[in-house]
Amino acid sequence: MRRGPVLALAAGGAFVLLLALPPGATGAASEEEVQHVATQLRCPVCQNLSVADSPSEMAKEMRGLIRDRLERGETREEVMAYFVSKYGEWILLSPRPSGFNLIVWILPFAAVLAGAVGIFAVVRHWNVRARVRAAGMAAPSPDPAYLERVRRELEATEGGPRA
Amino acid sequence: MTAALGHFTLILALLVTVYGAAAFVVGSRRRIPPLLASAERSVLVAFGLVTLALLVMEYALITSDFSIRYVANVSTRASPVRYKIAGLWGNLEGSILLWEWVQVLFIGIAVFRFRRRPHPLAPTAFAVLMGISAFFLLLLAALTNPFQQQFPVPPDGRGLNPLLEVTDMLVHPLLLYHGYVGFSVPFAFAIAALLTGRLDSEWLTLTRRWTVVAWLFLTAGVIYGGWWSYRTLGWGGYWAWDPVENASFMPWLTGTAFLHSVMIQEKRGMLKVWNLVLITLTFALVIFGTFLTRSGILSSVHAFAEGPVGIFFLAFLGAVVLGSLGLLLWRAEQLRVPGELDSLVSRESAFLLNNLLLVAFCFTVFLGTIFPLLAEAVRGVKVSVGAPFFNYVNVPIGLALLFLMGVGPFIPWRRASWASVRGNLLWPAVAGALATALLMAAGVRGFFPLLGFVLSIFVAATVFLEFGRGIRARRRLQGEGWLAAFRGLLNRNRRRYGGLIVHLGVVLLTIGIVGSSTYKQEHEAALAPGESFQVGRYTVRFDGLQGAEAATHFRVSGAFTVTTAGRPDVVLKPAQRFYQGYDSPFASVDARYGLREDLYLILAAFSRDGSQATVKALINPLISWIWLGGMVILVGALTAAWPLGREGRP
Repeated sequence: MRRGPVLALAAGGAFVLLLALPPGATGAASEEEVQHVATQLRCPVCQNLSVADSPSEMAKEMRGLIRDRLERGETREEVMAYFVSKYGEWILLSPRPSGFNLIVWILPFAAVLAGAVGIFAVVRHWNVRARVRAAGMAAPSPDPAYLERVRRELEATEGGPRA
Repeated sequence: MTAALGHFTLILALLVTVYGAAAFVVGSRRRIPPLLASAERSVLVAFGLVTLALLVMEYALITSDFSIRYVANVSTRASPVRYKIAGLWGNLEGSILLWEWVQVLFIGIAVFRFRRRPHPLAPTAFAVLMGISAFFLLLLAALTNPFQQQFPVPPDGRGLNPLLEVTDMLVHPLLLYHGYVGFSVPFAFAIAALLTGRLDSEWLTLTRRWTVVAWLFLTAGVIYGGWWSYRTLGWGGYWAWDPVENASFMPWLTGTAFLHSVMIQEKRGMLKVWNLVLITLTFALVIFGTFLTRSGILSSVHAFAEGPVGIFFLAFLGAVVLGSLGLLLWRAEQLRVPGELDSLVSRESAFLLNNLLLVAFCFTVFLGTIFPLLAEAVRGVKVSVGAPFFNYVNVPIGLALLFLMGVGPFIPWRRASWASVRGNLLWPAVAGALATALLMAAGVRGFFPLLGFVLSIFVAATVFLEFGRGIRARRRLQGEGWLAAFRGLLNRNRRRYGGLIVHLGVVLLTIGIVGSSTYKQEHEAALAPGESFQVGRYTVRFDGLQGAEAATHFRVSGAFTVTTAGRPDVVLKPAQRFYQGYDSPFASVDARYGLREDLYLILAAFSRDGSQATVKALINPLISWIWLGGMVILVGALTAAWPLGREGRP
């Protein structure tokens, strides 16, 4: 009986962890590959645009550079590492999930999880209270037909329940 | 002379406002009706004075009075009049003046409305609102005086930031400010409830329509911002998770959570503290967003100002947050409500989850926006947090919200029975399953795009089913026609049906976002006149270049003839605008808009002799659905906020 919520929580936790893992690299070569790396890099001369989106000359050159390096057989990671060595971590549009940066990756999911646990606890607490009260009042329950008659009479005298 | 008049008017308005705030407080505590009446008149006077200041500024702008520094900053002699007028909100000082004007306008409307049906909460709430207004006036009078003079008077102004010199600029900031300011009204009534100890749900019901209207403006402002970005910034997208966008989005998220959670308090009397927290948070985020974007603390397109303004905003933010927190703690004992719930699955639980997800969404945006500051402070390293991060974390949250949107409105209060849930959700679930099969057969791949489309169809089906059933029942029972049945249904519960229409709008918007971000195609080509290239089902032919002198800039546009599926279609003219004093040109994009997709052309480069042009063509599938969804959302929100006619009153 008590295992249900625990299992659900564990499954939820596993799902959240799965989501929190950064997307892995698969596939090979081509324009798509260039585009993929370009979306991860920041255009240095724009405000908050990726190298893929930016219409600037600089971004165009960087896309060329990415293409060259990929064609030379470098992996996505190596290409990104090259740009980091040139411009610093700032050039990455999403911070590397390691060390201090883990905060920004984990905290949102942790917050959702903590909130879900909190809500579950509160709702259960409310539910228990309602049931306790219902049990207290539940003494001998009156005949439903009798209740219905009372209700009709009340409606007739007061001109309906909404009045 | 003009400058002195403007500045003097603002100082006078500040004094009147401070007097008004005090008079509201004393008048309501000591119960002195004449003093309260005088306080109400002071609102009118303050409104008149701020309006005068605004008109003085507009006069200076229109007459190009460059002895006022602000005027020279945002206009040139040659600027078209509409941009001279819009210069009012083209930079920091003027924006705050406009904001303050909207603030006193709202206070004035509130005072007017409560004159007809006075309420014990109102005077205290007005005092709070006058306090907020006084903050902005103090800012204007002391720190960001828009009427600051300069000598010598320059022969011409610098002009508006070219990014702002577009028609959309005339609308977008106005919408946002109405949204921002609108939320100050429910906030003020919440604070008034805490101050006076009238802690039942009155403050909510009194400001219900204010909240919906504020939300409506904010929503319109955010979506219009996307439209502006799409058409003006010239990179083919509508949302870059830029700090200034995030700043407007964060209060939207908490405001949306508030709009939902108030229903629990109204129906069940629970969650009193939470609602007070949410509205405070929403108002605090409005101020925080302004702090972020106006203090220059984060670099962003819109952060055109730096200076002591940031500290001033931060102090105000601190006062709002700490003050509200203190009041909440003070009243904590009286706010405690023993909640009860008959079943774990109920409307209440759905709303709680909705709140959790919206607030978590907001938290993510907040964290991502300030993380670069945090990292720099702790590690001393500059990092970026951009679109890949925000999309990665927020897409799952957004999809979960979409799912709730389909389920939540159809779970009954207190206790859900299987039969009712099944009755409402069976057919939509079937529709969703069918859609999955069809979409997969049509070649849609990828977990998130598929889920996005399927959930959208599921939610749309729930909404249509609900409307269909309601209309059919009315037609059968009351013999009404289709249209009358539809109107009757809306009038019976405007809030519910308005809300469902809003949900439908969100569905359209989601389809637009998923479609345009998943299936975007692009192609760049350098062409000589007469040459063409193929992108998607379009052939784009370069016809030639043309240069033209405009009032504030020089414009070079290319003509491109588009042939769609073999048929001559339109001529698109993307351009570059060259402004004096700016090194690089500004793009003016042109597009062929359509429900299926937009063909979007950017003139990337050209040779001076006209022998070549480089053009970037983007195909953005379904992107129009975003703007369409925005319109449906507005219709829904208007439906919910519209005053009930005679027939509709219960």
